[in-house]
Amino acid sequence: MEDIAQLRAEHEALIQFLYLAPVGLVQADIDGGIVMMNPISAQLLMPLSRDGGLDNLFTALESVAPDLRHLCADFSKRAGKICDGLHVHLNAGGAGKKVPQILAVTLLKLDARRIMAVIDDVTLQVRRERQLRQNDAWLNAILTGITDYALVGLDARGAITEWNASIGRVTGFGQDAVGQPYSLFYPPDGMTPEHLLDRLRDAERDGWSLDEGRRMRADGSSFWGSALIAPLPEREPPCGLEADGPAYCLILRDITDKREASERRRREAFGDHLTGLANRRAFFEAAEQELTRSRAVPRPTAVITLDADHFKAVNDRYGHPGGDAVLQHLAAILGETFREVDVVARIGGEEFAVLLPSTDLSRAAVVAERLRASVASQVVHFDGERIRYTISAGVASVADGMEGIDPLLKRADQALYAAKRAGRNRVERWRPELASSPIHQSQGNEGDRHDA
Amino acid sequence: MNASALSFSTADLAAQLDTCSPEQLDQLDFGVIGFDADTNVQRYNAFESQAAGLSPQRVIGQPLFTNVAPCLNNFMVAQRFEDALDEGSALDDTIDYVLTLRMRPVKVALRLLASPASGNRYVLVQRQPR
Repeated sequence: MEDIAQLRAEHEALIQFLYLAPVGLVQADIDGGIVMMNPISAQLLMPLSRDGGLDNLFTALESVAPDLRHLCADFSKRAGKICDGLHVHLNAGGAGKKVPQILAVTLLKLDARRIMAVIDDVTLQVRRERQLRQNDAWLNAILTGITDYALVGLDARGAITEWNASIGRVTGFGQDAVGQPYSLFYPPDGMTPEHLLDRLRDAERDGWSLDEGRRMRADGSSFWGSALIAPLPEREPPCGLEADGPAYCLILRDITDKREASERRRREAFGDHLTGLANRRAFFEAAEQELTRSRAVPRPTAVITLDADHFKAVNDRYGHPGGDAVLQHLAAILGETFREVDVVARIGGEEFAVLLPSTDLSRAAVVAERLRASVASQVVHFDGERIRYTISAGVASVADGMEGIDPLLKRADQALYAAKRAGRNRVERWRPELASSPIHQSQGNEGDRHDA
Repeated sequence: MNASALSFSTADLAAQLDTCSPEQLDQLDFGVIGFDADTNVQRYNAFESQAAGLSPQRVIGQPLFTNVAPCLNNFMVAQRFEDALDEGSALDDTIDYVLTLRMRPVKVALRLLASPASGNRYVLVQRQPR
């Protein structure tokens, strides 16, 4: 009898140990059906569940990490880590302190039938790490692997002040570069006049500003470049002359050979597995940054949300691989339609969002309409079939960044809902009358999902 | 007080639970977790103890949202109690939820009760018919 009492006490202690574990632990079958889970999992997943239940891990995370099901299905090894600490972005500025913003999800395949998941709220950790990462990037830019670089002097407006041989070596530009803005080195649609000044202000505030991406040479060819801007110490103006304002130094490096590694890192953290577009996390981070900047210097920012009409019917008729082919086709058109400076992201199962910096409502609506028409005129070839589909889109914009991304996204969703209501294959702009209309929830379990 | 007359949905339930003895709470066919203004668990009945697999000694005196039922520590439950306390308002709401009783996800109805007068707060748990 004593043995049983002891066994019971040990069992209870073990249960309590799991109840108190400060991370979420879930065991599920290979399709995501939840078998066991501890309390922190329920704490983190319940607010995301759209049907009020926690029967399936992938369904619970569908609205914020539509990729997981694919990642798991595509994982061909018999066992092993499917993903390790994958960051899942929830909402941007959450209300109240009990709303996490970023979850880290680790999936482990145990065998052909079972997976384990570890889920952790890493909101604060990520915030700290971002700061550290920037410091690292700065050191990296200065200290490592410098074979050649162009040193470019900039004035207060970002115009190139003088030519030197290093500019010629790295970019091929000659004397005529003097007086032109440093966006000369960027692809034509890769920089707005506002961003040009943003980076000078960032450099002023933080001591430096670093970015990485495709850069242009004089002959029109491109290379992968890293550009560091730092403010120069103010010099005393010569006697009798007015001070000519702050000046900056731009260090431009060709890091094409490192591109693959850095692109892979970026894709892993910020890319959507299925479509290759940005993911939710990338979208919200870019949007918050853009809107923060536009608080300092007001300019319009637009958001387009869109999804494929009657997508469920596509899935029903052609199966999920057919649905995936449509999403990939749509992603390719999105990539062609928007500028490099725009952020095109898959933010839900079949829902996409585009952030358009320095763009007002009517310009954004024109682009959205071009996208709609382009989709409607094309055919997806899948498995010997020809799939035609259309999209609906909602467009919204703000004059400054005062309210943050959530209200802007909500307005775009309200306009999208109006587009669906008005018969689909349409673009609607947000207008004040829509303020009280419901948000279009492409993933919801209400009727709208099924005829989306 | 005839405790067996109380059900999960009885009106004005908090005040009646306040007067129940531990033995009377143990007779109820739904889970009762009572906690004070500091969120420390004060009452924990047999139904809940049995469902969760924890004896009352392990639970009484422990902070509810961190040490007893961390699954409730989000805006759907814990925040509601916090807000009610901050505003000095009463709380009586029933929501659908999923508890992880013995690590199995179990659909339940939760009734959240708080009254500013007594300072006693309750989470009541009823299993949903499957």
